[in-house]
Amino acid sequence: MRTSDKVERTGHIDARIYNDNRVVTLMTAFLDRQSTVAPPGFNRFLVPPAALAVHLSIGQVYAFSTFNLPLTRLLGVTASAPGNWDLKQVGWIFSIAIVFLGSSAAAFGRWVERVGPRKSMFASALCFGGGFLVSAVGIHLHQLWIIYLGYGVLGGCGLGIGYISPVSTLIKWFPDRRGMATGMAIMGFGGGALIAAPLSVLLMAHFKTATSNGVLETFVTMGVIYFMFMMIGVYAVRVPAPDWKPAGSTAPAKPKQLVTSANVAVDLAWRTPQFWLLWVVLCMNVSAGIGVLGQASPMIQEIFTGRVTAAAAAGFVGLISLFNMIGRFFWASTSDYIGRRNTYMIFFALGIVLYASVPSLGHIGSIPLFVAAFCIILSMYGGGFATIPAYLRDIFGTYQVGAIHGRLLTAWSVAGVLGPVLINYIRQYQIDSGVPKAQAYSITMYIMCGLLLLGFLCNFAMHAVNETFFHRGSTQ
Amino acid sequence: MKGRMVVLWTLVGIPLLWGVMKTLQNALKLFQ
Repeated sequence: MRTSDKVERTGHIDARIYNDNRVVTLMTAFLDRQSTVAPPGFNRFLVPPAALAVHLSIGQVYAFSTFNLPLTRLLGVTASAPGNWDLKQVGWIFSIAIVFLGSSAAAFGRWVERVGPRKSMFASALCFGGGFLVSAVGIHLHQLWIIYLGYGVLGGCGLGIGYISPVSTLIKWFPDRRGMATGMAIMGFGGGALIAAPLSVLLMAHFKTATSNGVLETFVTMGVIYFMFMMIGVYAVRVPAPDWKPAGSTAPAKPKQLVTSANVAVDLAWRTPQFWLLWVVLCMNVSAGIGVLGQASPMIQEIFTGRVTAAAAAGFVGLISLFNMIGRFFWASTSDYIGRRNTYMIFFALGIVLYASVPSLGHIGSIPLFVAAFCIILSMYGGGFATIPAYLRDIFGTYQVGAIHGRLLTAWSVAGVLGPVLINYIRQYQIDSGVPKAQAYSITMYIMCGLLLLGFLCNFAMHAVNETFFHRGSTQ
Repeated sequence: MKGRMVVLWTLVGIPLLWGVMKTLQNALKLFQ
């Protein structure tokens, strides 16, 4: 090689390294918290759609069951063939994702608070979209452990980080309507399933061929779509300037009960009794609802034997999912007016009445009343998720509320196991003991009442944090 | 700012409305 060629080639490499470094620098600057500080006059209603873009995407996890059956038929395509995975094995993908949702929200909460919403939303998009792509490799190679690692672990981390990313930002933007703001974002998590379920079915039908049921292609497409959709949130999110206040805001003349103006750091918050009272409140509220969500279809078919078809039962599942979503916005917004503690009092008291009446409604054979009862129950299940960030802010202050929320979400992981186990095992035990299927849910409903009573008592015991836990340093 | 507001809310609103519509179509089967 001539010297002039060598110089030219080295020059090209230098230029590439320079350009690569420039891209990295620009990207780092774009993701930096400082570059997300909103300019004066910024309209705060531009932030909720950014949060919704992330939550609508990660809410897909609730519709993962649409892949369960197709994943058990990868080799046989139309029917199960030897070597295929069974439903039990495939069911673990969702469980792993939910466990990693809770644990990553707890583990990365402080990091999310430190780096700001844009970088954390970007990390969430990479993990969630990447989880689909890694799983697609697992489908291609027919290796289930790769899917556990892809959608379960990587995707689960995307779920956890994405779930908490916009929460504290929204609380800072809407100090006058915290419940409404976080309710709007968390409503997206409920709404995500309503989009993902028909989208998955549509994509699988589109990609289906004589030799493939289209799951692989659907995973790749969804990974790309969700990554791009979450990038809308990454681009649009802004944090308020430290001295920003909403126009026309004035401090309340009389401080509200159980709303602090002080701050508690995450490392101290979880040592307070208030944190654990709220942990039980969330865990009980979620346990009662999540068990019903998972068993809704067989439950309505068994209670109204011969009167509700499988298609109608699917409609019931869709309807209660819709109320799960609506409840998130409705109850969280209502809590801005009636207070967080009172909102949870309603969840638990009304929940006990409704759960206790379900066996009677089944006995008298009233489908509309039965459906109405579960629509209200599921609206309060969603409402519990959406109201908890504002409740945490009221008790622990704005500083590190996202990280505290992350740690509290471990209650969700526990409830995700507790609720379905209670419903499934007690139902099975009843059937094995000779109880007719239509009546096998009665005891379960009364146990749900017991869980809600425990939640009621913990919520009733809630009081302000002792000031020895207050953070004295800077909160910026 | 107003244009950006319309674009962002439309981008998240359309998929959500589509999902709600599909869900309601399914839910109707319950009462048929």
